[in-house]
Amino acid sequence: MASYKAPLRDIHFILAEVFKVDPLWASMPSTADASMELADAIFEEGARICEAELLPLNRQGDEEGCTYLNGKVTTPSGFKAAYQTYAESGWVGLGGDPEYGGQGLPKMLTVMFEEMVYAANTSFALYPALTAGACLSLLAHGSEELKKTYLPAMYEGRWAGSMCLTEPHCGTDLGILSTKAVPNGAGHYDITGTKIFITGGEHDLTENIIHLVLAKLPDAPKGPRGISLFLVPKMLVTEDGQCGAPNQVRCGSIEHKMGIKGSATCLMNFDGATGYLVGEANRGLAAMFTMMNYERLSIGLQGIGLGEVSYQSARAYALDRRQSRAPSGAVSPEHAADPIMVHPDVRRMLLTQRAYNEGGRAFAAYVGMWLDLAKGQPDPVAAQKAAALVALLTPVAKAYFTDRGLDTTILGQQVLGGHGYIREWGMEQFVRDARIAQIYEGTNGIQALDLMGRKVVGDQGKAFKLFHQEVSVDIAAAEPSDPRAQALNVALTQLSQATDFVIQQSSLDANAIGAASCDYLNLFGLTAYAHMWLKMAQVAKQGEGDFYRAKLATADFFFQRLLPESGAYLAKVLAGSDTLMALDADLM
Amino acid sequence: MPAYKTPLRDLQFVLHEVLDSTTHYAAIGADDASTDMIDAIIIEAGKFCEEVLSPLNSVGDIEGCVYQDGTVTTPTGFPAAYQQWVENGWPSLAQPVEFGGQGLPASIGSVVSELISEANWSWGMYPGLSHGAMNTIEIHGTEEQKATYLTQLVSGAWTGTMCLTEPHCGSDLGTLKAKAELNADGSYAITGTKIFISSGEHDMAENIVHIVLARLPGAPEGTKGLSLFIVPKFLPDQSRNEVRCGAIEHKMGIHGNATCVMNFDGATGFLVGPEHAGLRCMFTFMNFARLGTAMQGVASAELSFQGALTYARERLAMRSLTGAKAPDLAADPIIVHPDVRRMLLTQKAFAEGGRMMLHDAGFMVDRVKQGATEAIRDDANELLSFITPIAKAFLTEVGTEAANHGVQIYGGHGFIREWGMEQIVRDNRISQLYEGTTGIQALDLLGRKVLMTQGDSLKRFTKLIHKLCQEMDGNSELQPLVEQLQAANKEWGDVTLQIGMKAMQNREEVGGAAVDYLMYSGYVMLAYYWLRMAQTAQAALATDTDERDFYLAKISTAQFYFARILPRTLSHKAMMLAGVDSIMALDESHFAF
Repeated sequence: MASYKAPLRDIHFILAEVFKVDPLWASMPSTADASMELADAIFEEGARICEAELLPLNRQGDEEGCTYLNGKVTTPSGFKAAYQTYAESGWVGLGGDPEYGGQGLPKMLTVMFEEMVYAANTSFALYPALTAGACLSLLAHGSEELKKTYLPAMYEGRWAGSMCLTEPHCGTDLGILSTKAVPNGAGHYDITGTKIFITGGEHDLTENIIHLVLAKLPDAPKGPRGISLFLVPKMLVTEDGQCGAPNQVRCGSIEHKMGIKGSATCLMNFDGATGYLVGEANRGLAAMFTMMNYERLSIGLQGIGLGEVSYQSARAYALDRRQSRAPSGAVSPEHAADPIMVHPDVRRMLLTQRAYNEGGRAFAAYVGMWLDLAKGQPDPVAAQKAAALVALLTPVAKAYFTDRGLDTTILGQQVLGGHGYIREWGMEQFVRDARIAQIYEGTNGIQALDLMGRKVVGDQGKAFKLFHQEVSVDIAAAEPSDPRAQALNVALTQLSQATDFVIQQSSLDANAIGAASCDYLNLFGLTAYAHMWLKMAQVAKQGEGDFYRAKLATADFFFQRLLPESGAYLAKVLAGSDTLMALDADLM
Repeated sequence: MPAYKTPLRDLQFVLHEVLDSTTHYAAIGADDASTDMIDAIIIEAGKFCEEVLSPLNSVGDIEGCVYQDGTVTTPTGFPAAYQQWVENGWPSLAQPVEFGGQGLPASIGSVVSELISEANWSWGMYPGLSHGAMNTIEIHGTEEQKATYLTQLVSGAWTGTMCLTEPHCGSDLGTLKAKAELNADGSYAITGTKIFISSGEHDMAENIVHIVLARLPGAPEGTKGLSLFIVPKFLPDQSRNEVRCGAIEHKMGIHGNATCVMNFDGATGFLVGPEHAGLRCMFTFMNFARLGTAMQGVASAELSFQGALTYARERLAMRSLTGAKAPDLAADPIIVHPDVRRMLLTQKAFAEGGRMMLHDAGFMVDRVKQGATEAIRDDANELLSFITPIAKAFLTEVGTEAANHGVQIYGGHGFIREWGMEQIVRDNRISQLYEGTTGIQALDLLGRKVLMTQGDSLKRFTKLIHKLCQEMDGNSELQPLVEQLQAANKEWGDVTLQIGMKAMQNREEVGGAAVDYLMYSGYVMLAYYWLRMAQTAQAALATDTDERDFYLAKISTAQFYFARILPRTLSHKAMMLAGVDSIMALDESHFAF
């Protein structure tokens, strides 16, 4: 059965010891109110709600799923009450702008809490996650009136949010969407069209749902530059800020899915629904993109959270389940067999999970740090550098977290053998729940194209140089004979080689970017994790006690058994596009 | 739901052109297995799979099996399809004539299995599990047991199961507890609980013959104290035996197949084979069973590839980076995008390469059973024991990878049940677990097959590779592939030697390296099969063929495999050679930090 305790010690280690957040947060007005002491208190309370309220609803939520009847969606038993507790304790507005009632805490802090919620109950986590995403767009681009009307209730968790982008014929390629927005004379717009795959599009958790909808104005230019963003509330809001008449937006059905069954994935019909323009006309996609970095990082955490709960559950099983003897002789001769933890291959699987989870957690903090710096750093040059790193690292984080999330949940399932395939044990649910994270918020293929095409080739490797410098500084700070630093240096050199190769190829071959992108992203992610593992090992070396010893042992496992994959990724990047493009589509 | 299409042309290529079925069947004395006959079988069986089994695949997933008071109801349409299958005589195709079979070689049976596996794996497990029971009785049963049970299993009137796993033991059967006590009439009373029994109870056939592993009183401890028993649901005198299904499992996938808890409550059983030799008896046909599971990986790759290819040609999104390919449409079909092609080609390379590997193994099974000389039979048997754990674990691992690519190509739609792509992932996931997990196969390969034979079993295969590379030396178009394979082949021997040396110092090294070693071996082996296919395709292109495109596609896919998949051996090599220290260093209790 699933066992989960929030990894509070590791979180403290990463924030306080590796990234030394107290001086960092104190250095910026936007984060000055935060401290590690406060963060620890928040995490402790967050752990309680995740372990005691959300985790117990996870299996049942999967079995029950959401139900749809006449436009209404009922969430699984217990979700509503848990959401109430969650919202009342202020968790929805954790990272929100204090001017509108949010708590304004740094992203570095909120990522850690988000991971816990995903670990405890991914389906549940998606409801507040979508609200937070909608708030970000609204905050960045909404008029003062819109912000005042909607943000406080959303931060409070009284109202939820949704993002309505995808249509039946388009997901990745939003340029061809067909939902229409027509001015209705009152300064508002009538929105008409069908949106699909709308997470949290309809549910019974809140009294109102605020949809952010991409649509086209009459005579808008074709393609992505003709799309505008609208706010469409489920219930129209009265002048005194209360829910009034229902708007013309209805849920037409919900999807039957592989996983995240407790989260309602809705088909939404807009039938002349009243909408309010957010930001400038025809600038909707750009408006969405400003919050995309926060959102993508958040969705990526799903991979780490599920990896962590899978690891903890597999570990418990491996200590308990007895099969065969250790190769080097019986470890518990008083029993008929040894616990499977003694078997090297079982340990390999557990350590792989662990090394990816902890490397990912550190990298989430790292990207969160650059987000905080980009937003709050008073020095414009430093802020610009931070923004460039955020842009570069976000697609890596989203795709690499979630790709490794699937791998690690599969490994956790494998540790349980046949029992891993049985629903009651919960391990297969983690796999099913993790699978969607590689798809939504831009498939991982799209993340890889974004990284390779826009972020690396697009600026001729300038942002990459910044990353290279950051890693090099840490390598230089280690002893020259440090095998971890040496291994990281090898990977960094391979990544640089891949970068140069693709930048050069891209001027000769239009397919070079797409051919290299996925392997390049994996090489990048692996190197970034190695960077994190070096940072963690450098700190752990100074510490005493079991926690630090375990950290170092895991670091060594990472460097010896996982990092070597970098060579294969490089070889695939260097193979170019020929063999990918040679086969005519009809010959496939 | 992807509509399933029989890969007829590819099967013909593999069987007739690469493997030269005519020569093979003549050599094993199965002259009646002509090319025409095999094609007719594929077409007929394929028709049934496309028209009857494939449409039931999602029905089975959505409905699942229903348990009530000891009985199991299979999904709508399953029993009727099974009746039709039996009436058409399919179960007896590759079974011995003396027990009512049609006497065709095993390899032809496995071609038909491939089609069933692709169309509807869950359904296929009902007739599929009979194979273990048939093999056990055929090899180890008495004449009377054969007369009573084998003929009914061969005709398909009855089905079979294998009852091994118990709640506390799966991989480690030495600790199993089911008891067998001698009755006055020479039969045994079997008592115990077995779990994860596929097809343990159902409504498709009138009787179910369980082959049960149990322990006799006073039997030696461990795996050397296990015996095999036949425990039929209905006894020869028609009375109901005391074996009942206690529950069925709720699983991630293969919902259409009943995974049963079976309670034996003094059930009457009949000893098969010698006392205490149960596990050894099972091992005599373990290779065949494992190859059957390997098929699931190939089938998943094929089915997912078919679905993804259709979608990739129809779904429009974005423009090709080299300029619009379908300017008359709002966007280009996604097959123009390199990353989508990368996923499709990976699926294709695994599906077609895996098919080639498995049907080559099928021919080996033929030679084990019907080889003209003992030397041929022995050689085939050695080769088969070597490749079986690789085929089983490697092909099911890459099967899951391929199925996941299929989901990914569909984007959000891949996650939705109605499209059927996610079902393939869920269904295939079990193949890495049952019939010995990937980890167990890897230990079998590296520990038992490779190191215990001092590398002899490996050499048997590397010699084949070496021979192929020599044969193709100087082949200008394929030379880079030949060189790459030659290098990999040499390296395979080198890393084996290095692991062997390490293992002599520390026995834990075997377990630490095993899975990477197995995957490494799989990639090299698949490269060998791809080069063989490329060789055959190249030869065909030199003739006056009107199928140039087909053969060019083979060569292209081979080149893709060598450029983009084979380099994965680099990682596996580095990982296994990194040694086991970093795996064993972490204290058990420190896993909790």
